[in-house]
Amino acid sequence: MFASVRSTTLLGVVGRAVDVEVHVGVGLPGFTIVGQPDEVCRESRDRVRAAFLSRGFAWPNRRITVNLAPSGERKGGAGLDLAIAVAVLIADEQLSPESAKQFAFVAELGLDGSLRSVVGAAPLVAAVRDRRVVVAAGNVAAARAAGASDVVAASDLAHAIACLRGQDEWISSNSSDVLPDAAPHPDLADVRGQPAARLALEVAAAGSHHVLLVGPPGAGKSMLARRLPGILPPLSDDEALSCTMVHSAAHVAMPPSGRITRPPFRSPHHSISMVGLIGGGTSAMRPGEVSLASEGVLFLDELGEFAPSVLDALRQPIEEGVVRVSRARTTLTFPARFLLVAAANPCPCGAGTPGVCVCDDSARAKYLRRFSGPLLDRFDLRLAVGLPRVDDLVDGRPGESSALVAARVVQARAIAAARNGGVNANIAVDDLDTYAPLEPAARALLRRELESGRLSGRGLHRVRRVARTIADLHDAPDLVGESHVATALQLRTALSTLAGGAR
Amino acid sequence: MNSDLSHAETIEPTYDDRVVAAALASLPGIGPQRLRTLMRGLGVLPAWQVVRGEAPAPEHIAAMLRQDGLDRALRRAATVQLLDQMAAALHDGDIRVLLTTDAEYPASIRGDFAAPAVLFARGDVSAFANRRVGIIGTRAASAAGRHFARRLGRELARNGVSVVSGLARGIDAAAHRGVIDAFDAMSSVASNGKSHLAAPIAANIESPIAANLAAPIAAPIAVVASGLDVVYPREHATLWQQVAERGVIVSESPPGCAPDAFRFPLRNRILAMASELLVVVESRATGGSMITVDEAAKRGITVLAVPGSPHSDTSAGTNALIAQGATSVCDVADVLVALGIDHHRLAASSDARPRPSAADKVVLDALARRPSTFDHLVAELDLPIEDVAVRLGRLEAQGWAVVNGGWWEALLAS
Repeated sequence: MFASVRSTTLLGVVGRAVDVEVHVGVGLPGFTIVGQPDEVCRESRDRVRAAFLSRGFAWPNRRITVNLAPSGERKGGAGLDLAIAVAVLIADEQLSPESAKQFAFVAELGLDGSLRSVVGAAPLVAAVRDRRVVVAAGNVAAARAAGASDVVAASDLAHAIACLRGQDEWISSNSSDVLPDAAPHPDLADVRGQPAARLALEVAAAGSHHVLLVGPPGAGKSMLARRLPGILPPLSDDEALSCTMVHSAAHVAMPPSGRITRPPFRSPHHSISMVGLIGGGTSAMRPGEVSLASEGVLFLDELGEFAPSVLDALRQPIEEGVVRVSRARTTLTFPARFLLVAAANPCPCGAGTPGVCVCDDSARAKYLRRFSGPLLDRFDLRLAVGLPRVDDLVDGRPGESSALVAARVVQARAIAAARNGGVNANIAVDDLDTYAPLEPAARALLRRELESGRLSGRGLHRVRRVARTIADLHDAPDLVGESHVATALQLRTALSTLAGGAR
Repeated sequence: MNSDLSHAETIEPTYDDRVVAAALASLPGIGPQRLRTLMRGLGVLPAWQVVRGEAPAPEHIAAMLRQDGLDRALRRAATVQLLDQMAAALHDGDIRVLLTTDAEYPASIRGDFAAPAVLFARGDVSAFANRRVGIIGTRAASAAGRHFARRLGRELARNGVSVVSGLARGIDAAAHRGVIDAFDAMSSVASNGKSHLAAPIAANIESPIAANLAAPIAAPIAVVASGLDVVYPREHATLWQQVAERGVIVSESPPGCAPDAFRFPLRNRILAMASELLVVVESRATGGSMITVDEAAKRGITVLAVPGSPHSDTSAGTNALIAQGATSVCDVADVLVALGIDHHRLAASSDARPRPSAADKVVLDALARRPSTFDHLVAELDLPIEDVAVRLGRLEAQGWAVVNGGWWEALLAS
């Protein structure tokens, strides 16, 4: 008459346990689903009925009511199909209530009764990982990555029911199987020459400073950016899990292991919408690119082509490390601890080189007005990248490999963490004198830059943080020296002295 | 109709010739050529009556006015309101109207075959009595080009030579900024007899103070395309004001005239007429500067050019001019020699910058070869990044190098 079976539904990047309650009683034959199902969920009654008939189960010709509890929240997705089917069988007394007690079901049903993988398996399974979870074969890796210890798979509805009755064996993959992770990120050794650009990447990785690369097409801006995740410290278990959840929820292609183990690299096209970048949307509430890039690198190529409103929406996540997306029904928080790398052309003609560029001052100024000041200000590192030199391209020595640089990055991060308990980019202004004290020569240099108007007050703090990171990379954990500050100043080029832009 | 005519007859004689000339110049369809025909052929007031249809016109002028229904359009536009409007604009903008018959009308322009019949001026027209050198160049100039133009403007002004330029972006503005620099330095010298400028070269026999006293700083002359009350480009409002205060801005366009594209080549012809010599600091192979050069060539005005690197597009035009036989300008003395001024009594310019140390010189030499990003510089010098950073910082602080949009350029001459 009545049955209750455990399943889950997805809310943003988090799974929520749902009890699928089914009542089969007297009345006109019918099948209704209540408890705020979305369109996909409501359609499951047709899939479930077809699967029953295909696999030879009797369909109860009575009044069937399905309630998805708690009924106050909206439910979405097809992951509830299997649970509904099992609950109907129990309520129709074709299956004993005891047999499904320790289980949770996360799978979609095909019309032929086969089990299909669902989107967001990792966060879905994570919500019910204390139980034995039944998934489609394609979701086993994701379910394991979510931390569920007891994951079993079935090929179709009949197989699943036979297993529940104890008449058949679950397909259970050996949990010790090591499936391959994603291929490693490209190596920094591929970058020939460009010593300052390499240093900028290293500093960015070590201090978690956002980088803006400005240079003509072909200067290797994208090539450099793609090599940044390779020198970031490896993800901790918690970070890897959080990344895996987000990627799974957003239905992004995953490595066979089902786990994200390397810092992600995301480079959305400049036509991206606000929702695509930040997250949200309709009832599905998908995470956006900022969340997919969390713990990794968000690369915005052709920064000037992005819609200004979209870029300005980045400011809050950059400051807070999370995105709060509010819609009529729900407010969700997505992770957004990304390292922002942006690339832009120096001027409309793209050449940049003095003497070659054909843009006049007003054209340049107009171009630079596309970038909002507050956003530009958040790039601690702003570097002009020129075309690579022919000598370097043809017979230059390969640069240092990512592994060597990554080792220094890890060391510098450890120094910073021991001193200020975090990365240098997050040192508060008040703490700068404590954590980044300056040598007299360094102080004099900064004073000179400020007095000449080449450095703004806001720029000063940014330069001091970057100088702190450079000093850490040079194993100078106490005083910040003149050379560190001078280098930091060079890594924060004014975009245009003419447009009044100070460092 | 009758009352209208009587109204016009009673009021019009009270309007000044100059207001009427300004109104004529602002009529639609009246360009420099037609204005000259009208005013030379008829005189100001008769010309006004002709365009109003109140007086018969000689046959050739009547033929000209009949083209494309011009006479009807003119009759509609040539109203008393226009005269009032002009009178107010001239008064508000402190704009003077110079007719070719005026004694003050610049002699060098009056003699020209394409001289404007009416010239509007703001400031002191006596600057045209000085020696005059035009400094022109591209709007998209390199930092080094701007720097050279500024220095040239400053040094010429200090040697009593008026700088003629167009107040456009880039080279034009830099040249006039140099002139303003010279005035500012002068006033600071005047305000405190022993200024900081005098100190480093006090030992020199010819101190700059003495030179300044010997040759007063020459007033700048600007030739612009728009009306004198329409500042273009807008970011030059301050410079515009400074030039008007210390020298003169002239234009062929009546007040209120927008900076239409067709006015710039016309402006360039006046710029050429107003100059004894024309110095092209930086120019592409084609462009506005080359139009001015052509205008100068038509008038037999000597054109000089500043040589540049063959790698630099902004020097392609000037290098081509030199190849064609233009004298090259590497120093203010080159210009003074071309003017026939004794450059030995050249007001000594002092380079107050400290000499770069041997270590810094290495970086400066690399920059002098070509503009370079920090990245390139480090790769080229093969020095530790921190070293290059510290040295660049010193060079920038001492004024030997500037950075613009990430590109470093050397400033060898002060």
